[in-house]
Amino acid sequence: MNRVTLRKTIVACAVLAAALLLAIVLMSLLGSEPLPVRASLCALASFGTSPCGLTQDQFAILFQIRLPRILLAAAVGGSLATAGAGYQALLRNPLAEPYLLGISNGAAVGTMIALVFFGTIEWTRPILAFSGALVATFAVYRLARGRAGATPERLILAGVIVTTFLSSVIVFVTVLMDATRIRSFTFWLLGDLSGTSKALLPLTIVITIAGVLALTLHARSLNLLMLGERDAFDLGVEVGRVRIVVFLVASLLVGSSVAASGSVGYVGLVVPHLARLSLGSDNRISIPAAALGGALFVIVADTVARTIIAPRELPVGAITALIGAPLFIYLLKRA
Amino acid sequence: MIYYGRSVRTLRNQFVWIAVVVCLALFSACNPGRTANVGPSREITDDAGRRVSIPAKVDRVVSLAPNLTEIVFAVGAGNRLVGRTSYCDYPPEAKAIAEVGDTIHPNLEPIIALKPQVVLVSTASQLEVFTQQLQGQNIAVFVTDPHDLEGVFRSIEQIGEIVGEKDRANQLVQKLRERTNAVEQAVKQKPPVRVFYQASGEPLYTAGRDSFVTDLMRRAGATSVTAGVPGAWPKYSNESALAARPEAIILPTGGSMGAANATVVEALRQSPAVLNGRVYKINDDHLARPGPRLVDGLEEMAHALHPDAFGR
Repeated sequence: MNRVTLRKTIVACAVLAAALLLAIVLMSLLGSEPLPVRASLCALASFGTSPCGLTQDQFAILFQIRLPRILLAAAVGGSLATAGAGYQALLRNPLAEPYLLGISNGAAVGTMIALVFFGTIEWTRPILAFSGALVATFAVYRLARGRAGATPERLILAGVIVTTFLSSVIVFVTVLMDATRIRSFTFWLLGDLSGTSKALLPLTIVITIAGVLALTLHARSLNLLMLGERDAFDLGVEVGRVRIVVFLVASLLVGSSVAASGSVGYVGLVVPHLARLSLGSDNRISIPAAALGGALFVIVADTVARTIIAPRELPVGAITALIGAPLFIYLLKRA
Repeated sequence: MIYYGRSVRTLRNQFVWIAVVVCLALFSACNPGRTANVGPSREITDDAGRRVSIPAKVDRVVSLAPNLTEIVFAVGAGNRLVGRTSYCDYPPEAKAIAEVGDTIHPNLEPIIALKPQVVLVSTASQLEVFTQQLQGQNIAVFVTDPHDLEGVFRSIEQIGEIVGEKDRANQLVQKLRERTNAVEQAVKQKPPVRVFYQASGEPLYTAGRDSFVTDLMRRAGATSVTAGVPGAWPKYSNESALAARPEAIILPTGGSMGAANATVVEALRQSPAVLNGRVYKINDDHLARPGPRLVDGLEEMAHALHPDAFGR
């Protein structure tokens, strides 16, 4: 990495990381229950070691309900945006996105299978979600590759096919599910951060960080791949290996976030696009920037979802889609 | 289980419904005006405010919700029920009756094939589309949507009237009223307990302003901490549930719900209710089905919340 790029990367990531930290603090002050601002800030600054005059309930709201949810939002947003950036670079298509390609649906089917067959064993959810995402990824990839390579239109069509096919599988399984589960399940399908148990939070965060690092380390190869697979090969990129790494890592990221929060749509589309728009298409910058930006985006979207009709709640997926869908149309028109 | 929130319909579902409407519209265009309901009829206003024309003598009824099946049996018209949903498991005799899908996905073809004169639906099952189609087949559709115990009593009386068992329905309602009054008298002097109703845990749903359960809790000597929240079954904020500091938590579980909703949601583990061991599991079938057994739920709730009021 030359020095200019390195400096640009560090500056961009530092600014975004600062914004992310600020968002975590500010958004944890917002919620359906008002908390005293000064005492909450003091408690946050002490990392939860001192209640700073918060009542026991207020302390619990801040550290056991709000903060874990915000951290989960950050992990989910970071994962989805990074996976989106990875797919877009590898498939050379700005519209590649886990939700639109049906990969989130693949992960959702995996999670459903875990819910139906291993209901109480929580760690089976991310594993089966990962498997589902991986299968869906390969299905889309195979479908999209024609003799002329994977054109943008072909890829989106393949995504539509996989999405609708998996949607039918989901509908089929929900019909077999018992009535009580369907209700919580439909909410979960739209992307919801409220129902997740804290047991999965550390795992989700670890996978996010590992995934972002893994894709960032392959960013140079992805840059070369954007020139075309043949050119990349001539320039010494092990195309097959990079492709497998990106597919595995992106599927892992999508799988862990879907297992934790359902299908939060459009994050992987909006955020990497904005990252490229403002920082250029060098993946060494845009992938880590997308990760931080994605975390920021979902934290803010989820804060809207949990406060706008408080004390009732909306699924966060409704908010991200509300922003993402118009942008998707704009991108399609430009493409 | 009948409280599918209005908010949980996915876009996909709506497409399915639209497809169903289009197909059926085409179908019914070629098959005009079957006249199952001919002869003398009367008009009864249902909970959707529709004036429904009901044949004078009704001997073929389909019920599309478990509470309605229970009501039909309770007023002594079980032998006139020709179709039910897969959720309708009570009384046990109901299971011998033909299934026509479940409350969310009822199946129009077997319903029409059963040639009912009246189909009973609950608005929770969101059957606007169905209603039009069935009416096109001259099958009366009667909607029930009770928001309190009085509304449930009215459903019982109206269904009694529809099936020609008005007297038995009135007697049943009178008995249920007596039991309700006994409960209310017993807890009258007790300070109301502040209760949180956990309809489901992941994600958290509760009973809101428009739910008959909110009325039931009031009668059982409780104040629901979510009594003012708009809607019948709102998805609720975890932190607001904790901040409300409920003295007791009602967990509707068991029955046809099985082991679902058997534990208090994580956010409420430190609430006064849990710390004082005041978490009460009550058979979901007695709380979630606005039928005769709702009064069982009332009694169970009152006994759990105010054991001393009943001499224990």
